[in-house]
Amino acid sequence: MSSRLYDWLDRRLNLKPVQRTLLDEPIPGGASWIYVFGSVTLFLFVLQAATGMFLALYYAPTPDHAYDSVRFIETEITFGWFVRGLHHWGASSMVVAIGLHMLQTFLYGAYKKPREVMWMVGVVLFLVVMTFAFTGYLLPWDQTAYWATQIGINMVGTVPLIGDFFSRVLRGGEILGALTLSRFFAIHVLFLPAILIGGIALHLFVLRRVGPAGPWTDDRASLASETFAPRQVYMDAVVIAAVFLVVATLAFSIPLPLTDKANPSDTSFVPVPEWYFLFYYELLKYVHGPLEPLATWVLPLCVILIMLFWPFIDRNPVRNPIRRPAALGSGLLFLFVVFGLLGISLKNLYAVPRTDPAVAQGRAIYAQLGCAGCHRIHGEGGAVAPDLSTIGYTRPDRAWHLKHFRDPQSVSPGSFMPKFPLTDQQLNDLTSYMLSLKRAT
Amino acid sequence: MSHQEEPDHRPEGGFSTPVGSRRTFFHWVTVAAAAVVGVGLAVPLLGSLISPAFMRRRRAWVDVGPVDELPAGRPTQLDHVTTVRDGWQEATSHKAVWAVKQPQGDVTVFSPICTHLGCGYRWDDAEKKFLCPCHGSSFDVKGDVLGGPAPRPLDRLPAKVEGGRLLVMYKDFKSGLRDSVEL
Repeated sequence: MSSRLYDWLDRRLNLKPVQRTLLDEPIPGGASWIYVFGSVTLFLFVLQAATGMFLALYYAPTPDHAYDSVRFIETEITFGWFVRGLHHWGASSMVVAIGLHMLQTFLYGAYKKPREVMWMVGVVLFLVVMTFAFTGYLLPWDQTAYWATQIGINMVGTVPLIGDFFSRVLRGGEILGALTLSRFFAIHVLFLPAILIGGIALHLFVLRRVGPAGPWTDDRASLASETFAPRQVYMDAVVIAAVFLVVATLAFSIPLPLTDKANPSDTSFVPVPEWYFLFYYELLKYVHGPLEPLATWVLPLCVILIMLFWPFIDRNPVRNPIRRPAALGSGLLFLFVVFGLLGISLKNLYAVPRTDPAVAQGRAIYAQLGCAGCHRIHGEGGAVAPDLSTIGYTRPDRAWHLKHFRDPQSVSPGSFMPKFPLTDQQLNDLTSYMLSLKRAT
Repeated sequence: MSHQEEPDHRPEGGFSTPVGSRRTFFHWVTVAAAAVVGVGLAVPLLGSLISPAFMRRRRAWVDVGPVDELPAGRPTQLDHVTTVRDGWQEATSHKAVWAVKQPQGDVTVFSPICTHLGCGYRWDDAEKKFLCPCHGSSFDVKGDVLGGPAPRPLDRLPAKVEGGRLLVMYKDFKSGLRDSVEL
């Protein structure tokens, strides 16, 4: 049936040459599982586009309604929570897929002549995807979104001369508010998709003009080619289906709670960025004072420029990684720094010793003394004293807490917190509990 | 394509492509993978699209006050606050209803809107009539039309008594029609 329809259309539209162009692309050295990452990235973009369109059915990009509309999607719409989960985990997966795609290209030296343009377009696509991530993060308009974006835009502001102007353009004025949300929404759902689709078309156009790079052997004449269909198509499809199942499982099993609605006056909130920005977030903690601009824009700009022009920096024509020690070394160093920072950051954020009995004891003392009468933790308790939800993050200093509990006014002049008669053991336990409070949710 | 089992086919370009049962295997695995992704996406996406079509406008019973304080046989206007949901928005509005306690103890509740063109009417205790100030429609204590242009009796609202409190489900009706049609 479908083949008769195809023949009918083919007689009129002459489809066979199109089919040959699309599917009979020769792959030097044959199909391989290592070549799937480009297709996976493309699939994830399609997934993001599809889920994004359906989220847009219910999302309202104004500070008055954004948060409520996202909560409406989460709680009222059938499968709404699942579609939002797919979009969230799809974004993370896309960063992973691009990372693996670039790693494969780097390892195989596939960016070398004549494929420099393809690499450069690819780097631009990567930057567009990161911009997608940054603009999408604000849209739920919860505390995390608001404060993470505040920090991101303020970092742009540290660039000399143009920084202040750029941050005003990004925010749409002086303050992060209605204009920021509506322009982030428009950029996320209209501008960036247009740019990304154009970039993908260019990336694929260049691929078809120069052809896939294939293995790194020098003896290219000896390579037997294989057509793209059916074996590479099959490999791509199998991995794409596997990736989809992983994303769907994550969306299904890990809920994505919203933090409280964005509150510009609550300056005690400490936001944590998405994991793919964490390495950078960690880096910023180590650079202070006059050196800060170095981390906020000099270094990122240098890294982006080096990535973009890498095919012209690494002019060694050899593709075999064993014979490219300098390139391989710098690649490894880059990965080591990024993953090292990511690891440290994750450890600081999540490696709370959950089994520490002192934390449980401290929690009991907190309840017994009625601390919740004034303090709030994760939405529970009074609001007359500071919110302690992330106190372990904002004040990781054990000595400070001990001193503070003995005599609050000694470290916090003007505080109306009473002194509590506690034993040293109790002080230590209560402090352990305070230090364990690190996560916003 | 009528290739039998044979070594991989080599077209003019000098590159190979699998044929025969291997080709069939790759084809079907590809189709299966596409089906998994397609169905896995179509169900939640279309589900979320059509979901609001199945959402019933939620009508809640609203407590409008104790039954004891209602005088039997004499209509009383009861004000209450009701919450109206519109997607992710919630608005509260003040509504009034007319309640008439019957001798047996159950309560008849009328929508406060005249069935003619939607004005608010009032009870005239001297004339023992509901009077609409706009166009002069009048109704008796059972809601039946006594005079004026009103096309139908006053609209009745679902009401029940629980634990001595009167609960009402507020509704709007189309005005100007012979029959009572809910909005």
